[in-house]
Amino acid sequence: MTAPGDGALAGVKVLDLMWAIAGPGATRMLADYGATVVRVESTRRVDAIRTVGPHVEIPPGAEASALFHNLNAGKLMVTLDLAKPEARAVALDLVRWADVVTESFTPRAMRGWGLDYESLRAVKPDVIMLSTCLMGQTGPHAAFAGFGNLAAALTGFFQLCGWPDRPPAGPFGAYTDYIAPRFNAVAILAALDHRRRTGAGQHIDLSQAEAALHFLAPALLEHAANGRVPKAAGNRDPNHAPHGVYAARGDDRWVAIVATSDVEFAALADAMGQAALARDPRFATAAARLAHRDELDVLVEDWTRARDAAGIEGALQARGVPASVVASSRDLVDDPQLAHRGHFVRVTHPQYGTSTVEAARFHLTRTPPRAPEAAPTYGADNQYVLETILGYDAERIAELVVAGALE
Amino acid sequence: MLSPYRVLDLTTERGFLCGQILGDLGADVIKVEPPGGTPGRRLAPFYRDEPHPDRSLYFWAYNRNKRGITLDLERPEGQELFRRLAARADFLLESETPGELARRGLGPDDLARENPGLVYVSITPFGQDGPKATYADADLVILAAAGPLYLTGDHDRPPVRVSVPQAYLHASVDAAAAALIANHERARSGRGQHVDVSAQQAVTLATQSNIVSAAIGAVEMERIAGGARVGPLTARFLWPARDGWVSITFLFGSSFGPFTARLMACVHAAGFCDAATRDKSWIEYFALLLTGRETVAEYERVKETVAAFTASRTKAELFALATERGLLIAPVATADELAASAQLAARDYWRMVEHPELGVSVRYPGPFARASATPIAYRRRPPLVGEHNREILAGELGLSADALADLARRGIV
Repeated sequence: MTAPGDGALAGVKVLDLMWAIAGPGATRMLADYGATVVRVESTRRVDAIRTVGPHVEIPPGAEASALFHNLNAGKLMVTLDLAKPEARAVALDLVRWADVVTESFTPRAMRGWGLDYESLRAVKPDVIMLSTCLMGQTGPHAAFAGFGNLAAALTGFFQLCGWPDRPPAGPFGAYTDYIAPRFNAVAILAALDHRRRTGAGQHIDLSQAEAALHFLAPALLEHAANGRVPKAAGNRDPNHAPHGVYAARGDDRWVAIVATSDVEFAALADAMGQAALARDPRFATAAARLAHRDELDVLVEDWTRARDAAGIEGALQARGVPASVVASSRDLVDDPQLAHRGHFVRVTHPQYGTSTVEAARFHLTRTPPRAPEAAPTYGADNQYVLETILGYDAERIAELVVAGALE
Repeated sequence: MLSPYRVLDLTTERGFLCGQILGDLGADVIKVEPPGGTPGRRLAPFYRDEPHPDRSLYFWAYNRNKRGITLDLERPEGQELFRRLAARADFLLESETPGELARRGLGPDDLARENPGLVYVSITPFGQDGPKATYADADLVILAAAGPLYLTGDHDRPPVRVSVPQAYLHASVDAAAAALIANHERARSGRGQHVDVSAQQAVTLATQSNIVSAAIGAVEMERIAGGARVGPLTARFLWPARDGWVSITFLFGSSFGPFTARLMACVHAAGFCDAATRDKSWIEYFALLLTGRETVAEYERVKETVAAFTASRTKAELFALATERGLLIAPVATADELAASAQLAARDYWRMVEHPELGVSVRYPGPFARASATPIAYRRRPPLVGEHNREILAGELGLSADALADLARRGIV
């Protein structure tokens, strides 16, 4: 456990009732910068993420998910079975302690436990509560529970990712779960600032779908303003050509190459040993390149196909042309840039010895993030939370154990 | 929520969304653009397909709730005016190549001398330092460099991106969070700081931690359309419907298994599978596959029964069934279907934003969050090029009409 009191968010207290990705990903950001985050879980209602890979061991046990290690690094872990009244009493004590309460259940679940905003406000008038679920707290689909692949379908990302002549490919995984954590963190931090200045708490209703739609805003405006329904365009771009992913030497090796200006295109043509292409009327201007992009793609891939992807990246970047290996996990573990930024952190794990998590994604230069640890195991901090944070005595804790409240 | 704060937004399209978020939350955001407007104003699509710096829908999407001025920061007079603005700002957002603004005397150290409380946020492709810090970039290049692109697309085609640029949106929302963390600390220390956001690192979140697979010795995922593949097992997320596609979270284990069991009950009730298929152990199913007690061929057959079931129903029928029975099925929606969504309508999501310069109101995506005490308001449409030059440079910095006209004549504003 990291000592409280370090970092930009030192002193911020968060009761985290969230699960899956979109919620815990947000509180991980706060924990990185020093907030004290008490994460509540029940062994009777397993966080789905514990069953999702990559795992440090196969077949995976409940503590083996590196995704879980990564999302919950730096938090305090307490187990509470909220179906039990004794556990709900503990939760309300944690509400009194907390500045912020976060939850990602459907609206009905929190009401059922007596942990809705009105109930929380009754014990803590200035509480900030963040409720985040797929569709929001109200409306005909408020009760629709699900994961980010479903919200990615509902919000249009699936339809807008793939090839014009094929069914949608869809973005990788639970895509909106990679968007929502950041918006959740922003909303919490802004509400904290507002409370600091005014003394007033509030309830924030963040629909994962509604937040994620901002990542498609240009397409939604295209429909609203021009009446056109945008479609998946492969790797084509309306502004630039060439703009693609090209085969390189080897099995499943690819390189992304883009020319965003005449200068970049001339540099690309030069690297390809075909400097004259930059003067060719078919390719001399952005408009001409867009009109002849199929020919251009063939020319570029003829050049990349027999070459090493990393070598292409190096040669093009040396000339100022946007290019990158399409990097796999194997590539990235050796990526000099991520290494320089300290992105991967080897951490100890009580059950498996070690795991690897990612560091904070952004750097505050004067108040750096704390070094991450793997997420603690089930209930690892029960004693600390009940005794030190809530001041319970041994007898009270024993009663909770007997009642099955800590499961 | 952030109404006391002043933000100077120098960003290109790499950072538009960051300032918009702070503006949505109530901050006074001033977009500072080069004379003629920021290059992002030239990005398609355009309103009625008319290329014009005030009609880029890409610019509109990420610049509401900002005022706009133009200032040539290559010229000493422009730099001096900018320094005067920065002296009274709370946040500065920028997305230049590392060192570019310092070269003009506008780096974090330069501005901190006059305004030690300034939170100076830099959004760059790879961060402020490191071997790739000055790499040339584009959305596709960042997606490639951060990991998700490798995992996205058809197995027999090149990896593919979402057809709307995504990389810098991830970075921009991270940047807004980072700015507010620095703001929180400033309330205690009185000091600002330099916030360094790397788009590459921001986008790594979109690998769902698969980026650590190699480091922990796990099998790497492979790209496959409408799903994900690990070793011989293909998880399928995209399924046919009678009138399009739906996504289903068809997974197993203690959390996902009960959903799958309910789905299989529906598949059986509709006559698409037998009772033995319905009654498989969906909680244990992944373990059964891993240990070979269930064959991959049988798993594939099961998925075919589900696909036959979904193909017999419309997207709307399947979504209604999902909400009624607690299933993990959602329609693959298009922009026109989103515009007609009953859920978004019930929540009054869409906002009509007036563009008086064109005599139209346009439907924008609504607030990213509902805050009970301080709701997000759309106070301003995206600014025209230099729309607030007079209001800010004359009204706030006290430039005379003559001085402003002189700057305009010399191309500085």
